[in-house]
Amino acid sequence: MASSRVAVIGTKQVKPILSANKTEAKRRVLNLYKAWYRHLPYLVKDYNIAVTVPETKAKLRELFLKNKHVSDIRAIDLLVIKGQMDLVETMRIWKQKTHVMMFFKDTNIKKPTAFLSRFYEGHD
Amino acid sequence: MSKYIEKFNNLRTIIKANGGLKGSFLQLYRTDELKIGDFVGEDKYGNKYYQNKYYFVGRSRWVQYVDKVNMDYDGSQIPAEWHRWLHYTTDDPPTKVPPVEREWIEPHTENMSGTPQEYVPYSTTKPKIESWIPPRKS
Amino acid sequence: MLRLWPLSRGLKARHVWSLAARCSSTAVPEKIEVFVDDKRVLVDPGTTVLQACAEAGIEIPRFCYHDRLSVAGNCRMCLVEVERSPKPIASCAMPVMKGMKVKTDSPMTKKAREGVMEFLLMNHPLDCPICDQGGECDLQDQSMAFGSDRSRFTDMTFTGKRAVEDKNVGPLIKTIMTRCIHCTRCIRFASEVAGVDDLGTTGRGGDMQVGTYVEKMFKSELSGNIIDLCPVGALTSKPYAFTARPWETRKTESVDVMDAVGSNIIVSTRTNEVLRILPRLNEEINEEWISDKTRFAYDGLKRQRLTNPFVMDDKGNLVQAKWEEALTVAAKKLVSVPGEQIAAVAGGLVDAEALVCLKDLLNSFNSEGLCTEEIFPMDGAGTDLRSNYLLNTKIMGVEEADLILLVGTNPRYEAPLFNARIRKCWIHNDLEVALVGPKMDLTYEYLHLGDLAEVLQQIANGKHPFSEKLGKAKHPMVVVGSTVLQRPDGGAIHKAVTTIAQNARVKSGCGEDWRVLNVLHRVASQVAALDLGYKAGVEYIRQNKPKVLYLLGADEGAITRDDLPIDCFVIYQGHHGDRGAQMADVIFPGAAYTEKDATYVNTEGRAQLTHVAVTAPVLAREDWKIIRALSEVAGAALPYEKLQEVRDRLADVSPNLTRYGDAEDANYFKQSLELASLVKDNLTSTPIRPPQLNLKDFFMTNSISRASQTMAKCVHAVLESEKKGKLS
Repeated sequence: MASSRVAVIGTKQVKPILSANKTEAKRRVLNLYKAWYRHLPYLVKDYNIAVTVPETKAKLRELFLKNKHVSDIRAIDLLVIKGQMDLVETMRIWKQKTHVMMFFKDTNIKKPTAFLSRFYEGHD
Repeated sequence: MSKYIEKFNNLRTIIKANGGLKGSFLQLYRTDELKIGDFVGEDKYGNKYYQNKYYFVGRSRWVQYVDKVNMDYDGSQIPAEWHRWLHYTTDDPPTKVPPVEREWIEPHTENMSGTPQEYVPYSTTKPKIESWIPPRKS
Repeated sequence: MLRLWPLSRGLKARHVWSLAARCSSTAVPEKIEVFVDDKRVLVDPGTTVLQACAEAGIEIPRFCYHDRLSVAGNCRMCLVEVERSPKPIASCAMPVMKGMKVKTDSPMTKKAREGVMEFLLMNHPLDCPICDQGGECDLQDQSMAFGSDRSRFTDMTFTGKRAVEDKNVGPLIKTIMTRCIHCTRCIRFASEVAGVDDLGTTGRGGDMQVGTYVEKMFKSELSGNIIDLCPVGALTSKPYAFTARPWETRKTESVDVMDAVGSNIIVSTRTNEVLRILPRLNEEINEEWISDKTRFAYDGLKRQRLTNPFVMDDKGNLVQAKWEEALTVAAKKLVSVPGEQIAAVAGGLVDAEALVCLKDLLNSFNSEGLCTEEIFPMDGAGTDLRSNYLLNTKIMGVEEADLILLVGTNPRYEAPLFNARIRKCWIHNDLEVALVGPKMDLTYEYLHLGDLAEVLQQIANGKHPFSEKLGKAKHPMVVVGSTVLQRPDGGAIHKAVTTIAQNARVKSGCGEDWRVLNVLHRVASQVAALDLGYKAGVEYIRQNKPKVLYLLGADEGAITRDDLPIDCFVIYQGHHGDRGAQMADVIFPGAAYTEKDATYVNTEGRAQLTHVAVTAPVLAREDWKIIRALSEVAGAALPYEKLQEVRDRLADVSPNLTRYGDAEDANYFKQSLELASLVKDNLTSTPIRPPQLNLKDFFMTNSISRASQTMAKCVHAVLESEKKGKLS
């Protein structure tokens, strides 16, 4: 009984969120990417952040490629929706400078771990 | 028609007063404004002061910064005695009523912020730990 | 003039009971049954009611009573009701009696306390907000706990409160005598513990005053302790005046390094600044006292500090540099010369961690030139046997000793707390003291045997009358000052003393457990350095002429530029710009004892830990880390990176260095004597003279105390008062 139910669930067609197939999902991703891409010069200007437009473009590419392993269509759709929401929030200046700069978080300097660099830094 | 001729003549006078086409273009580039007025005086830095009561109060007195500073002009380059005239504190320019000279008045300096000579606040409290200063041999 | 409680040796009568209780195991005196608040306690006969209450877990309020001082019984705060006694009794002075029923919480007791408190406050100013004792004041605390909740003090006639003129007793103690409640703790401390009869009372009743009779400095090396003893704010610390409240400060337990005793201290800090140093209780070392140098030299930690690395430039000037630069310059030099031409000198304030790191570093360069600034004779067993250079009987051993022979030492200034212990036992325990050395004021009487080294020879041979006395003693102690062993004939003196000690040990029949030979060191790092295998003295460096010399806090000038070849490269590592830094080519700023977790071994061989109270200033770093970093830059990284790993290494070299708090026994006295017999008896006829003879010599002995303004003021004040004394 229980095993048959598992089998049913396993083969059941999942209900799509937005995209019906991979091509459609890819199109959505590319559209989102383009929308962000076009907005980047304005973003730099609006928020008056200390990064150049090419840097933001590189960051955008990096952030999109971070999820390139995702193959589940539903997951892709969700990510696209989240990305869109984020874009809207950014465009309408619902964010503040710090929130935008959070994309560039890895500027946090890591504490040294080797003895000599710790010594120079004065860390214990 | 004559109205337009008058306007055109005005424009010509203004352009002429500002040193012809080239001079007017430069003036527009520097100040975004073309004005004509009576020369009132010049301070020790070479800034020239003008007045034209045709413009209403607030715009009727202005300064033409010395050419040397080019685009780096700044309000703080105006000495105190001209500042009071420029801001309508008095109607007598220092050319007419020279400022009272007092021993304790420091010479005017412009705001140095953003330059290497800028003022940087520093702590005047005594350090908690006094460092050893090595003796100098030479 | 009235000298309170004249202290003769008859005072020990009071201690007969406790002595009897300790010594005679055969006849245990019967315990007395006492009831405190209906709770049954069994106490020894002779204990006071106050002590019996303490045994029952009830603390009686007191001002004048103090554990380590004689009983005065004049503050009356400890009044308690005793059944069938018409009046309340002063519990600190009353011995218990059989079946006594003490009531510490009865209405009568409460009323008595309230009354006493009311009288005290009537004659005490209400200046708590500007009083330095505020927050740690016994009177404040006890008036909150036991005083009345309202005042009946109405100065209707505006006569004003009692006011007393302040006294000037020197640069360390600030007196506000109006606040004095006449508990006489300071007087008793001065005459009993410090052995200086300077303080006393004049007048009586409302006119009573505590003071020095005539205006003069309170000249004692333990004077600071009366600040702690004073239950009110009458005696406060002058350098600490108006600095901080006790609740604002952070307290760090630590160990003192001003002398080799290793007193336990508490470092009070606020906003990364040492504000004051207080004693910490340790019965085995300093009881609850500390010397003035320990207590007041802390301002030296804030002056003349090395806060940046320095490198010598082309013109011969030391200029500030970055760590990278300084380490590279030093490392290049270290690598460029053969190992035999590298040497190191360790100074007196260095911790064991830094010592072991430096030793490992130099050994990895094939150098054995590790020396200490303090000299110790290397003849005979030298420093190979630990028993040769330790205070073997321990400081506690003085309590059991009945005869002490001091050789070429002035413990009063070399180790004030050891001296205080001797004085305590001299008063209470029938201890006798003899001295070989110049006549000096040790605060107790002693038998002066002369100041020539020959005397030692005679005692060793049994030709001197004193050797007979020594033989009769049950628990003899021989204490040798480290300075007398630094003379050219130090080896011979050590031999003579070893012989004396061994003879005394055999004759007295005190058994294997009792050790006779003791060496009293002057600096805090010496025992750790010798334990780790450093050579004592810089003779090796004088002979070998190194090309690179590493001075690890060596500031006493044992090695000068004149002893070194001209092209010798000197690296100085330490915390103060003193003699060592002035002759250096590269300077590494290190941490002082309040700024590092470090191990110090005192003259008994007891390893103790200091803790970080404040961070090292600016670029200064912990000493062992500097050496570790240098080793890495020089391409011979030491195999440890963490403090714990350094401690493990310490334990590998000498396990006693990490057994904190314990003083391990050292033995092999017989073997030491056998080896010593190989040494030639070439005693010189120069008289034995320890370097610190007067109080003025006591204050400035190391780089910290030399940088201290307070200590400089003390020296000045002593000189002034001596001048005044000569004139009158």
